[in-house]
Amino acid sequence: MSESTSKPVLSIQDLVVEFKTEAGLIRALDGVSFEVQEGEALGIVGESGCGKSVTALSILKLIPSPPGRIAGGSIELDGVDVVAQPDDEMRKVRGQLASMIFQEPMTALNPVFTIGNQMVEIIRVHQKVSKAVAKKQAIEMLRTVNIESPEQRIDQYPHELSGGMRQRVMIAMALSCSPKLLIADEPTTALDVTVQAQVMEEISRLQREMNMGLILITHDLGVIAESCTRVVVMYCGKIIEMAETEELFRNPRHPYTRGLLDSIPRIREKKLETLPIIEGMVPDLANLPKGCRFADRCPKAEDHCRENEPPLEDTESGGKVACFIPN
Amino acid sequence: METLQFALRKLLYSIPLLFGVTFISFFLMVYHGPDLTYTILGKNPTPEQIAEVHRDLGYDQPFLKRYFLFLKEIITFDFGSSISSGEKVSSILKKSVPVSFMVALPAFILSNALGIILALYAANHRGKKNDKIIMVMAAGGMSVSFLMVVIAFQIMFCTSYGLVDWFPVQGWISPPPNYPDATTGEILYYYWYYYWSHVTVPTLASVFVALGYNTRFFRAVIVEELNKDYVRTARAYGVSNRKIMIKHVLKNAMIPISTRIIITIPFVIIAGNLVVEKFFGIPGVGLVTYDAITNGDLPIVKAVVTSTAVLYVIALILTDIVYKMIDPRTSYNQ
Repeated sequence: MSESTSKPVLSIQDLVVEFKTEAGLIRALDGVSFEVQEGEALGIVGESGCGKSVTALSILKLIPSPPGRIAGGSIELDGVDVVAQPDDEMRKVRGQLASMIFQEPMTALNPVFTIGNQMVEIIRVHQKVSKAVAKKQAIEMLRTVNIESPEQRIDQYPHELSGGMRQRVMIAMALSCSPKLLIADEPTTALDVTVQAQVMEEISRLQREMNMGLILITHDLGVIAESCTRVVVMYCGKIIEMAETEELFRNPRHPYTRGLLDSIPRIREKKLETLPIIEGMVPDLANLPKGCRFADRCPKAEDHCRENEPPLEDTESGGKVACFIPN
Repeated sequence: METLQFALRKLLYSIPLLFGVTFISFFLMVYHGPDLTYTILGKNPTPEQIAEVHRDLGYDQPFLKRYFLFLKEIITFDFGSSISSGEKVSSILKKSVPVSFMVALPAFILSNALGIILALYAANHRGKKNDKIIMVMAAGGMSVSFLMVVIAFQIMFCTSYGLVDWFPVQGWISPPPNYPDATTGEILYYYWYYYWSHVTVPTLASVFVALGYNTRFFRAVIVEELNKDYVRTARAYGVSNRKIMIKHVLKNAMIPISTRIIITIPFVIIAGNLVVEKFFGIPGVGLVTYDAITNGDLPIVKAVVTSTAVLYVIALILTDIVYKMIDPRTSYNQ
């Protein structure tokens, strides 16, 4: 994939998102910038609370407000300035330009309406078609995500489907208006391990077939390795490393990324006594350290790291890293 | 068809419940209700006189036999005659129940419909100024005593001391003065006019009292629904806020809301109207019951107590049916 020929479907610049909490104003995202090219699969990894999901919700302007707000920066989605977009204009963007799959297939669908009813509704939000036509499209979409006998399934309620089936329905809904960007927020976390692989395969296949941009948010590096071309590593609301997937796995530059990779259990290597972990805790967003946010947990940290924040800089291998002493 | 089967099955299952309810009511009435012997005989009766009256009233029969006689009265809906007026209890109820129903209906509809609308509005603006205003007013409305509200509204709307003197303080529709000669149109107009003039102030008072509680309850239910994941999903796919509130959230919220609304029906028709009908002099079940209790008119009290109990059981069945109609997760075969 050459970046020069494709144009970005999503471009985020210096995004700042703040939340008003009882502990004061916290910055959930602090100067996040990245791009997603047409047809590219980008993975975002990081621990809980690092800002992965906030990033995803910001792209569709779904940050609950109050208490949250986009305090700065820009999000450009296929030429649309998301931050400046009024809410009713934003509705047309959601589902149409960019769509989202959520983690919990059990609760993410409305329990008192059939899946057909919910799919038809979404299609008719974006296209001026009759209910019958929309239903036909919905059935086709269910067939696309490999749901058997979609004609019967469409009249069923969410509780009549299995977890994997529900996640397929979610994918069908998300893709029913052929968006240019699909955001998948931990799409397989709540599923059985055997089903996880199938659902992930489905997402990757459709992403290629429909030439969509994909943002895959997960804390599972294994999933990223299989389906993403580029990875963004986030920590405490900031991007700390960004690289091609292969490069990142082979040669992680940031000590945090290294820590993440080391903590993946490997079958073929000789058994370790204990799995390496990253010592310490994620700092409180309301009470961030002065220097590098990872310094307190970093095995290589020097005094310099605790005093100054490292900027995100280009590496010689084409990626970016925010560390004074990268590997 | 499935619904009908389900209703019949529920009805069948509720038979033990009906036995229990009627047994307890009867037990309480026998041991704690008024003893008519002395009402009939006056002071200082002889033991022979007492025994005779006891025999006439059936007091000498064994408890269980009396309970079964009582059950027979319920099934045939024949509770005998009122002690004070001599009129058949069933004919008294036949006259007063429709009156109570007509008085309660507008207030019942308004307090629930307005409650849902206000709750939707407040929940949609939760945390903002208008939500807070509605919630404070609801708490205020809930806190004022019903008796005070009734009197205040009567003064405000029915007397020259108040805001307007538009409505009569007390009374109910009676036939037009020229009744036998009046045309159908005249009669309809007459009834229509007097119905509203007598029912408006009671309705306003009842709505004032019920609305606060309803709004708070409904809002709590709706806010809980708004935090569910499916709302975020709908939003993420571009569904409008209006449709999310009215379609997605409301239908889910209707599960607990409809339960509450239905379960208040027996209360609204009988107990709730006790005060309204007494204060506004409306000849409904409430007033009949009020007078029967104060006069010790046992047949009427018996009839009202049992009908209330039976009504509650029916309301419970109705709740189950409605619940199953709204929520597909519950099947008819449970």
